Amino acid sequence: MKKLIGWYHRLLTRLMVATVAILVIPVTLQIISRYTALIPSWIWTEELSRFLFIWMVMLGAMIGIREHSHFEVDVWPELSARANALLRIVSYAFVLVFALVFIWWGIEFVRFGWDQLSELAELPMPYIFIAWPLAGVTWVIFVGESFVADWRVLRAPPG
Amino acid sequence: MSAALSPGMAALALFGVFFVLLVARVPVAFALGLACLPILVLEPRLSPMTLFNETFKAYNAFILLAVPFFLLTANLMNVGGITDRLVRLSRTMVGHFPGALAQINVLLSVFFAGISGSSTADAASQSKIFIEAQVKEGYGLSFSIAITAVSAVLAVIIPPSILMIVWGGVISTSIGALYLAGIIPGLLIALAQMVTVHVYSKIYHYPVYPRSTLREFFVAAWQSLPALFTPFIIVGGILLGWFTPTESAAIAVIYAALLSIFIYREMDLRHLHEACAETGRLASVALFCVGTASAFGWLLAYYQIPRALLENVTSWGLGPIGVGFFIAFAFLVVGCFLDAIPAIIIVGTTLQPLAASVHMHPVHFAIIGIVALAFGLVTPPYGLCLMISCAVAKVPLKFALKDTMIMLVPMLLMLAAIIVWPEIPLFLPRLISPDFLK
Repeated sequence: MKKLIGWYHRLLTRLMVATVAILVIPVTLQIISRYTALIPSWIWTEELSRFLFIWMVMLGAMIGIREHSHFEVDVWPELSARANALLRIVSYAFVLVFALVFIWWGIEFVRFGWDQLSELAELPMPYIFIAWPLAGVTWVIFVGESFVADWRVLRAPPG
Repeated sequence: MSAALSPGMAALALFGVFFVLLVARVPVAFALGLACLPILVLEPRLSPMTLFNETFKAYNAFILLAVPFFLLTANLMNVGGITDRLVRLSRTMVGHFPGALAQINVLLSVFFAGISGSSTADAASQSKIFIEAQVKEGYGLSFSIAITAVSAVLAVIIPPSILMIVWGGVISTSIGALYLAGIIPGLLIALAQMVTVHVYSKIYHYPVYPRSTLREFFVAAWQSLPALFTPFIIVGGILLGWFTPTESAAIAVIYAALLSIFIYREMDLRHLHEACAETGRLASVALFCVGTASAFGWLLAYYQIPRALLENVTSWGLGPIGVGFFIAFAFLVVGCFLDAIPAIIIVGTTLQPLAASVHMHPVHFAIIGIVALAFGLVTPPYGLCLMISCAVAKVPLKFALKDTMIMLVPMLLMLAAIIVWPEIPLFLPRLISPDFLK
């Protein structure tokens, strides 16, 4: 199970790296096409870069939960490992609520955009909107994994 | 408009839930989103779909692309050998001052700020370079962390700057003018930091390097020249109308990549992959927060909470300077709890009418806000740069708090000077491109 989640995590990371690497290309094309006749001025370069960007943000937000890299405000003094685990269970319970919201209304969000095409490149919008419910599902998986780990810390004999 | 909830109730629900969740250590981005939920469910005219529409709208903004681009520029500089050369140049310039390595730390931040527009990237890379090295040479750990973190804030004050691009996009101010306006305040704050380092070094007898020869300086300058050219390409290109601010960030990426591959020849595919992964990680968690903050800000506006909050302030009858200090104070307080981009979206738009009511120049208003928010990057509990530096040094945030606060005092004096004398930010844009100020 852990292996499977690790594999999924790596897959998401690769995809995110790809979006970052590709992102520069349409913006560059946009500038070049304005000044030279080398390539036609494709109007959808701007839209394409925006859509890659949305996917980058959502993919990064997904893996951020497993890597614990989402920024937190820490007002607590230094806590013991057990107290930390307990607090993380509480905070990730709230993340779980948010994840379920993303799944439940995210599906509605995708349905709402089912027949929409993007304005310029006429890409089907569900390709974009699907990132939201996917983020919800991914968070549920990662939060679940974190729960198990923290639960073990809590159950372990103190000392 | 007949909302089911009164503005007061809505404000209480939004801020109440948000703060409770923060204390429970829920990630800020999720706390902002979750704080919207009760209202979205309770208010009959709204539904949680608002959360999706607002986050989508936020991410679908071309202007925010500047964030990953500037981070990528910074990461490419680090893996591609640009940073190393700038360190060498800084060494020949300030190495013979007391507290040499710390002075180099500040000066490198100035150079870095002129190429990258991201303070978090600056903090992340310079913490790795300087903190350990400084401690080895006998500097205090807390001092080393603090000076690295506070000098990192220069990156968003000296152009190019992510915050200025976002500010210009959200509050419709000329980004070209903001870039020019940020130069003098940024250099003044850097000067204040160097003076601080000097005083520290005199008290604690921090080490000095032997003075570099003029020849060494010229060699280092020559090697760094292509990198130092970046800010002129970016700012110049925008002023001349060659490219938009977001495009200029992409230009910075390409320029940094070309330098690393062809001039300095230190980058390979593995480095490139690392730089992209690092960029994606940091950019996306920062930007995800912008989405939920936009939903939060949208709800504040829906209930006209900002207007209710500001009604009192308008009746105080403050003059331009009073309003300036109030704005700085508001941004400083908000900066303690929020990242700068969401703060611009939520608070910048709120304060704009107040600034306009005393005929404060929009560029002056922007610089006050951006400098105050930049300081927010090192103020606890949510000071990203300080958090990053402490994380690199593997100590809790409060460890470096005292020195950070001491270093903030001269910086705050500079902010006060910027408020009292609008000429400090407005001089350069007036001189170079008066058209942008209209």
